[in-house]
Amino acid sequence: MAGLAIPLLRLQADEGLTVSFDGDNLHFSAPGLHFLTGKPLTRLKDADTVTFLSQITLFSDNQGTIFRRGLPERLVVSYDLWEERFKVTIPGASRSRSNLTAVEAEAWAIENLAISALGLAPDRPFWMRFELRAASPKEMSRVMGDSGISLSGLVEILSRKPGVDDPYWMRSAGPLRLSDLPRTVARRGRIG
Amino acid sequence: MKFASLGCILACSLLFGGTQDSEFNVNSRYTVEAVVVSGDGWRADMATDRDHKVSSSLRKEMCALIGEKLNPTSLDDLAHRLRKEFHARTVEHRVLRGKSPDYVQVVFDVQLRPTRFDVSVPKFLYNSDQGWTGAIEGTATVNHNGFTLGLVSDGDELVERYTGIAARYENTDIGSDKVRFRFVFETYHEQWNRTTTAALPSGETSDDLSGLYRTRQNFEPEFTFQVAKPLSLSVGTSFQRFQELDPVAHTDVANALTTALRYHRRVEGEDSQQDVDAGYNLRAATRLIGSDFAYSRHRWQFRYMLTRGKSVVLDEATGGIITGRAPLFERFVLGNSTTLRGWNKYDLDPLGGNRMVHNSVEYRYGVFQAFYDSGAIWDRTDAAVLRHSVGVGLRQGIFSLAVAFPLKEGRIDPVFVMGMNY
Repeated sequence: MAGLAIPLLRLQADEGLTVSFDGDNLHFSAPGLHFLTGKPLTRLKDADTVTFLSQITLFSDNQGTIFRRGLPERLVVSYDLWEERFKVTIPGASRSRSNLTAVEAEAWAIENLAISALGLAPDRPFWMRFELRAASPKEMSRVMGDSGISLSGLVEILSRKPGVDDPYWMRSAGPLRLSDLPRTVARRGRIG
Repeated sequence: MKFASLGCILACSLLFGGTQDSEFNVNSRYTVEAVVVSGDGWRADMATDRDHKVSSSLRKEMCALIGEKLNPTSLDDLAHRLRKEFHARTVEHRVLRGKSPDYVQVVFDVQLRPTRFDVSVPKFLYNSDQGWTGAIEGTATVNHNGFTLGLVSDGDELVERYTGIAARYENTDIGSDKVRFRFVFETYHEQWNRTTTAALPSGETSDDLSGLYRTRQNFEPEFTFQVAKPLSLSVGTSFQRFQELDPVAHTDVANALTTALRYHRRVEGEDSQQDVDAGYNLRAATRLIGSDFAYSRHRWQFRYMLTRGKSVVLDEATGGIITGRAPLFERFVLGNSTTLRGWNKYDLDPLGGNRMVHNSVEYRYGVFQAFYDSGAIWDRTDAAVLRHSVGVGLRQGIFSLAVAFPLKEGRIDPVFVMGMNY
């Protein structure tokens, strides 16, 4: 498993994350990452609410040794049919912003994600990975069938490789050191 | 690793992702202007179209959204119920801008499965006088074509018990969904009740009666035309051949032209629903199409049902007449699981009759049912004797359990009837 992770980390490193530190938490931006596109955008324009699941992981080396994995965070997005603007809610952080363009909504959502830096030594190198996935309502309905939970549906989803039909994004950065990171003002309270 | 973390995200999405969260959906401040259900080549506005594709209860719930603020959570629930009702592959919902600012339209898109296979039990019942009756069939549907193969053993409907195979091909769209085609093939082996064989001694037939037969096959092509929305007309032919038992085994043929006119209308009020069904069937056998029998069988049926809350009142009247000499399977029967319940059909007329009238009044409240049947069955040369029966029971959906009492002098012989789809 670790062997699989190395090339993935190296492959994605070029696309990068811009990481900053507020004294408690690590924040980041992901230039060029546009997730309000494709099928999620189509669903949004049908007035559907689209939930994205994000996860941030810190690695203590480039072999894939996990130092910390944050709890998945929900980004709930909807699209105003009449105003033609987006609304993003992060229930875990009790934050919400509306009347945003697609680019503004993507940037605001990612800016408001963070992971605790607690326990990271200032000069110790670490690596960071950010994953984002759109939770499909079809997946939900396939698993929650008419006669209860469908085991075959669950197996089918878990065994399927993420592909074009499965909106998934990943960005990585590293090696990083806390002491090298630009300092920002705190946007969230201490996490963890 | 990637898949492990994806699995973790998915697990969390199943736990927390939910479907529609009204509080997060910015469109929940808009008012619903219209609700539309659309499928392959059809579209129905739930408020204005009285389309029978969607059940009245579901339509009412969808209409209740109109004028209210959009509740995305309820759309998921309605889509799920539509999917179940249509046995659809998917039902997706979209919300579009309405005609006026701050109003929206809700559209449910129903996508049926192009190919599907269903196994069903169209009839299953037990009558303490007449035993078991059952049918099971499998249907493969490819687009508008349905192929059905079934097994049946029915000791309820006719004088005989027929056991065998029924196969059916149906096309529900011959150039238009207003024209349907059906071809039925049936092959049965017959069993006769002792009372019937005793009533018709070997080799003895009359002007009205045919003899007993061992096997029977039927080939029946039929076209149905939707003449108007509540009215349909079916025309076809029935090619029946059967192997008579006595005096010497030989094959007889009863080929008939068939016609059926059916009317169905549903009237919905604020708190009630009325269904009216009427029908006329004619089977005319003639030597012109190679039949050994020449007869006409006419049957009329009228059914009225009023539903108000948990209460249902139902009246069903049937009448029939046969002119000429018809095979036994064409003769009318009373005293089974749907007519003159409680009476034994072999006591009433072991050979069936060529004249029949029947009326059934039923009241249902929730699962409780009570009924009163009255009717007469007789032959052209006999006098009609009116008989009555009453009964009570439980009915839930297609399942029914009832005890029926024939109203006659002397002792009371209750008959138990239980089953489904009868």
